[in-house]
Amino acid sequence: MLADLHNHSCLSPCASLEMSPDLIAQTAAAKGIGLIALTDHNCTRNCPAFRDACKRYGLTPLFGMEVTTVEECHVLALFDDLDTAMEMNRWVAAAQPRLPLNLDYYSDQPVVDADDNIIELLTYFLGQATAHSIEAVGRQTRELGGLFIPSHINRHAFSVESQLGFLPPGDYDAIEVMPGTVDAYRRRYPDLAVITASDAHCPEQIGTWPFHLHLEGHDIASIRRGLRNLALSHLLSIP
Amino acid sequence: MTLHDIAAFDDVETLHFNTDLPVTGGYTSDLLSDVMANAGEGCLLITIQAHNNTVAVAALAGAVGILVCNNRPVPDDMIESARREGIAVFRTSRNQFEASCMLGNRLGA
Repeated sequence: MLADLHNHSCLSPCASLEMSPDLIAQTAAAKGIGLIALTDHNCTRNCPAFRDACKRYGLTPLFGMEVTTVEECHVLALFDDLDTAMEMNRWVAAAQPRLPLNLDYYSDQPVVDADDNIIELLTYFLGQATAHSIEAVGRQTRELGGLFIPSHINRHAFSVESQLGFLPPGDYDAIEVMPGTVDAYRRRYPDLAVITASDAHCPEQIGTWPFHLHLEGHDIASIRRGLRNLALSHLLSIP
Repeated sequence: MTLHDIAAFDDVETLHFNTDLPVTGGYTSDLLSDVMANAGEGCLLITIQAHNNTVAVAALAGAVGILVCNNRPVPDDMIESARREGIAVFRTSRNQFEASCMLGNRLGA
């Protein structure tokens, strides 16, 4: 199955306003994606619409967010259950300073329904770093039963490498790396699942960098097992 | 003090500089969320974060220039963004502490 675990909707201040949950699901389905996550910056408020949209197009959804840690590392926290994702949202929102959204540099942050109707416009900047450390975000995600995946770990900004210079020891389900660097990172982290993701912020980016995942079920436990098997298959293929 | 004076500092390389503007202070930080929340209007941002997002955050915070420390490589797209935003970009082999002292001494801070 093709999986794409990192996508931003119109709720993210840096994403195109065209990125409605419906458009993301529709486009991903057309590109053959089977498992897809919605991961707006520090917020899961568009996940209810995403659930309905994924149902509409026959996709398996994961509900989550891309959390900005206090170190300014971006990390993905993913859940198969909407209520749990919303619980994570409360924990993250409580630790995010309320900086006003500057519309000269960012776009509106609409919470929408599955039919692209705007329900609410969030007026504080969702991109601002939270007060939670990467370790705390990992722990909280685990406690809630979610998948914990550092985003684009070798990107020039907002990654564990740009902020810390190394991948801190942790219980990761996978690491997301920049396209074109998968092989190098498989060699460097042979016991981890190394994946790509589209990190889509505009319609053209939807479904551009999925990865293949063998799944026996659609729940978190099956996905976690699939990622573990992916890591194992890397390990066995290294000469 | 103006950006022109910064450009004339010893061991400061000018990577992009268009309009001379007053420099009213400095802000030293490598956490862009901190810069966004706390840097003052008219400051010189002293940092090792040399990429596109640094320019975006500097513009948002009202900084007039960025001084990249430790001779970090500066990508072309960062200069391109700086040109667009009208923000000067300098580079030095000094670290953030040394660069801050240099600016502070001149500003009499």
